[in-house]
Amino acid sequence: MAGKSGREISAVPEGGIKSKLLSWEGALVLILIGVNILGVAISPNYNVNNVLREMPRYLAEIFMMFGMGYILVLGDIDISVGALVCLAGTVTVLSSNAGAPFIVAVIICLGVGLLGGMLNGFIATRFTELPTMIVTLGTQIIFRGIAEVLFETWGNGGGTASMADTKGLMLLAKKLGPFPIAFFCVIIVGVIMIVVLAKTTFGRKLYAIGSNKTAAYYAGIKVERIRFICYSLLGFLSGLCALFLLTATFGSNTTTGQGFEMEVIAMCVFGGIATTGGKGNLTGAFIAAFIIVCLRIALGQRNINTQVILVIIGLMLIISVLVPSISSAITARKKRA
Amino acid sequence: MKKKVLSVLLASAMVASVLAGCGSSAADTAAPAADAAAEEAAPAEEAAPAEEAAPAEEAATEAAVDTAAADSAAPAADASGSTYALVTKSAGNPFMERMASGFQEAVEAQGGTVVIQNPEAATPDAQISVIQSLISQGVSSIAVDGNDANALTAVLTEAKDAGIKILTLDSDVAPDTRTVYCNQAGVQQIGETLMEAVYDLTGGEGDWAILSATSQATNQNAWIDAMKKLMESDSKYAKLNLVEVAYGDDEPQKSTDQTQALLQNYPDLKVICAPTTVGIAAAAKVLQDQKSTVKLTGLGLPSEMAEYIGDDDAHSCPYMYLWNPIDLGRLAGYTSIALVDGTITGAAGDKFTAGDLGDYTIEEIDGSTQIILGPPFKFDPSNIDEWKSVY
Repeated sequence: MAGKSGREISAVPEGGIKSKLLSWEGALVLILIGVNILGVAISPNYNVNNVLREMPRYLAEIFMMFGMGYILVLGDIDISVGALVCLAGTVTVLSSNAGAPFIVAVIICLGVGLLGGMLNGFIATRFTELPTMIVTLGTQIIFRGIAEVLFETWGNGGGTASMADTKGLMLLAKKLGPFPIAFFCVIIVGVIMIVVLAKTTFGRKLYAIGSNKTAAYYAGIKVERIRFICYSLLGFLSGLCALFLLTATFGSNTTTGQGFEMEVIAMCVFGGIATTGGKGNLTGAFIAAFIIVCLRIALGQRNINTQVILVIIGLMLIISVLVPSISSAITARKKRA
Repeated sequence: MKKKVLSVLLASAMVASVLAGCGSSAADTAAPAADAAAEEAAPAEEAAPAEEAAPAEEAATEAAVDTAAADSAAPAADASGSTYALVTKSAGNPFMERMASGFQEAVEAQGGTVVIQNPEAATPDAQISVIQSLISQGVSSIAVDGNDANALTAVLTEAKDAGIKILTLDSDVAPDTRTVYCNQAGVQQIGETLMEAVYDLTGGEGDWAILSATSQATNQNAWIDAMKKLMESDSKYAKLNLVEVAYGDDEPQKSTDQTQALLQNYPDLKVICAPTTVGIAAAAKVLQDQKSTVKLTGLGLPSEMAEYIGDDDAHSCPYMYLWNPIDLGRLAGYTSIALVDGTITGAAGDKFTAGDLGDYTIEEIDGSTQIILGPPFKFDPSNIDEWKSVY
């Protein structure tokens, strides 16, 4: 069955507790627990309050990850979203400073994200001969370019702007108990996105397109329309990411969102979604995202060099992609013996 | 069953590989214990062993810190027991490394514990993560070299609320989020010095360009503004024509590309002024390799610029300026200690002694509190040889 589990650890029949435990998602849960144990072990300050306090900046990225998961399942890729976060954040800050009430600024933020996503979707579906990597590379440069022009035209110069009226953002940055509002929003958006992908015909169509676009087309699936919807959705979620990022930075600058696209792709791939399309699910990606976030927080508290942290995350990513090959090699050797 | 074991092994192998990366100080001794705990816990899916492991590790860390403090507590004891943090702009920047070494030297000489954090990229986002982590650790003070004047406001306010003393050095942030700013040299002083150098090298007239760091770098923008104002207000500079302010983003490759673009676009260019150590080194190499007649000045590190400094046509940079980053780091270190032990509160007029750097007074400049290190220092062919080995 398409896309049940991201990564096969071993050839266990489907169904039953055993297969669930042995699935990639099961392994991810164990790794997440392991990372948290590691955190408590290496840092005396690694506790629920501190982790939740450090989390909001990373939570913003997770919104975007769900949309990216859809795009990757389709077999597409979108590397423009980091720049789109910058553009959406910039327009929001500048419009708020120009006198727009907070609710209007929020709508503008989400709207710019949606429009940017629709532009990606439009180009990607109209000019199907273009690789989506190239299309979104182009829009990435365009989005960040527009943001820089906006800073020059309407900002106070110097490629940075901070929001004058922070009341609305303060409200969004509030906490319910130890949990930031962003945390609940991530869970709600996450559950919706996971259920849509796993349990609806729409979700199943994504897997069909990702597995074989031509076959999906002849099966009567409106391939280009669905791709357009997914790009727009990712754009909208980038707007949401920009909004929650603003609650941590209270402003935007020319480097806002730099590298976010690669970080969310890394979360998806670590979570078992294949960049070739048609494989993986968002549950895995969701857990993987928290693994990466908790690991960064834990190692950060131990004052381990951030560059070393990046090396560790890179290694984990490569090892995780190699897991199916390693396990099948071991199985094969056993059969021979 | 064997397959189940396999998956658990893989999971714990990954955790172990992560642990292998924690090579710093006390983590070494605690790693095996934590590893064992992880292996026990993984199959059982329980967090209980973690709680057992935590106190053991805490004890290990405390012991390590205690011995470290005891080792270095000999000269003076007034800073021991506190942790002083420094957040640089990014890793891999020689200026930041020298600054950090000065900070470390000053604080450790007083018996304090030092944490130096180099963010993964020269962005405010990366600094926010690092500062959040320092808040969790409950450090006594954080000295920040800001990548953005405004974006750090929220996180620094949070740090302040947690009782941490905030100061800035090199690049300032919004003044109400920090107590005091350790300024390497007054903005006006630098603007005047560089403008005078440009005037001298062009012979008083002609095209010149600026190669800066990022477009939002606070200090570079302030210096460039000061230079522009001088050009407008002083008729001495009326015949000078600033053709472009190019941004090399403090990346060697981009700075090289921008220099080449300047040479191509403005054939009459006489002087490039690069008020950033990364930009000036990249531009110096381009100009010298191409045997260009365009002359270079600005702010650069002597060790990186030694081979380009000379009066003849074979060298691209006749002279340049800089302050001493090691001294700037030391000043920030002494200021951190003075803030934490209450010698100063960050109000204008407060006085303190910064070790052998001498006595400093907090001044009120443009409505914010600053400590000024001293005037910029000129490096020319006569003194570059003795300075290039220093920093």
